[in-house]
Amino acid sequence: MAIETLFNVAHLHLLLNHVPTVGSVIGVGLLLLSLVRRNDHLKHASLEVFFIVALLTLPAYLTGVAAQDAVEGREGVTQQIIDRHHDAAMVAFLLMQLTGAAAWVALWQFRRRGHPAGWSVPAVLLLAVLTLVVTGRAATLGGEIRHQEIRLEDATPAVPGVGWLTKDGIQRIVTENPWVWPAAETLHFIGLCVVVGILGLVNLRMMGFMKAIPFAALHRLLPWGLLAFGVNLLTGMLFYVATPEQYSMNGPFYWKIIFLMLAGGDFLYLTVKAKTFALGAGEDPPVFDKAIAATTVVLWLGVVYWGRMLPFIGNAF
Amino acid sequence: MTEVLASLQQSGLSVWLRESESIWALPTILTVHTLGLGILVGAAFAFDLRVLGMGRSIPLAPLATLFRIAWFGFWINTVTGVLLFMSDAVRKSTSPTFLTKMAFVALGVATLVLLKRHVYARDAGQDGASSTAKMLALGSIVMWCAAIGAGRLLAYVVEF
Repeated sequence: MAIETLFNVAHLHLLLNHVPTVGSVIGVGLLLLSLVRRNDHLKHASLEVFFIVALLTLPAYLTGVAAQDAVEGREGVTQQIIDRHHDAAMVAFLLMQLTGAAAWVALWQFRRRGHPAGWSVPAVLLLAVLTLVVTGRAATLGGEIRHQEIRLEDATPAVPGVGWLTKDGIQRIVTENPWVWPAAETLHFIGLCVVVGILGLVNLRMMGFMKAIPFAALHRLLPWGLLAFGVNLLTGMLFYVATPEQYSMNGPFYWKIIFLMLAGGDFLYLTVKAKTFALGAGEDPPVFDKAIAATTVVLWLGVVYWGRMLPFIGNAF
Repeated sequence: MTEVLASLQQSGLSVWLRESESIWALPTILTVHTLGLGILVGAAFAFDLRVLGMGRSIPLAPLATLFRIAWFGFWINTVTGVLLFMSDAVRKSTSPTFLTKMAFVALGVATLVLLKRHVYARDAGQDGASSTAKMLALGSIVMWCAAIGAGRLLAYVVEF
């Protein structure tokens, strides 16, 4: 199905691109307030906000190229000003994911022992403030694409494409080194196996299989699953940034993101809410947890399905 | 031998797989092959990591289920793999990349069989993580990563 019949991706970008900036302000605000008031509930809530904002930042960032296609060539819209926004947004996106991951680790520690480790909340705060600054810059540069009236007269636009962590830099690396793409694909597939293996095992237990395993033994594996997901996020980013035209109007790509976000929601539920987390050996999970775990398994297999179908239902390749 | 492969490649099923525009031909077979890979290697990795000491408080006895899951993935991939081979039999049979992949798959399966036999042997200790088991688990990870790498290369390397 053509993606444009489903929703207007460029509009979606304009809608979602407020979430990272506003979301980080709310998250940082809640976290600071929780520290001042020494309130663990507020602290917990701010960590959940960071995780959810990181999830919403996926479509906020990944709808950008479609929005670019929509404004390219209009009066006053130069490639340079778009690239400057994309380069800033890319760094902001990476920092946001890192903040979300750190927030998840703190939530996981909360669940395991009632309080996060001493280092994790300061780490989240540091990353979140950094993310807020970089995201704010990316948002400003994005606003300037269509709002020439707010561009500063004397502001010399930073030259885009300098350094390797830019759109041009990554495209250069991929074009000049033919081994990079297959190597990243291999890592992406290995990461896929680790994610499916670890989350599959954990969620099968949550569905009521392998009851002899106490859940406390299993949830230690979760950070490794998250790490493997990080590998796939980075390699996936490489594919997206190097050849955005394969994905920006590709139906399965957006389905993949939707499935990933729902799987992320399940992951948060498992971490903060699921009663299964406290189950000992031989104990059966509640029906609701079993249902959620079943959706997790389906969602991850769905992520693999949409990813592999990118060249066949969509246009990637 | 070449004639056998050539006729295999010319069979109705192979031609359909190779030339059909249908989503149910090559695209679906390839995708199911990838899902099977996730199930087989995912289950193998989960067991390997446990033996190597990650999540060492997980009791080993109930984890035997992982082998049933892994074999399930293995059979999915044997069936889809044979279909994929049929559609391109002549070239695949001499492709070094393909033969390398097959070698690593065979080694991966052999390592898993040995690992299971070793960990669940009657005289194995409670936690089963002897140094031999650890070597086998590490070997399993290496073999499967190599098989995946070679398999991915098949899509990028042009061989004649």
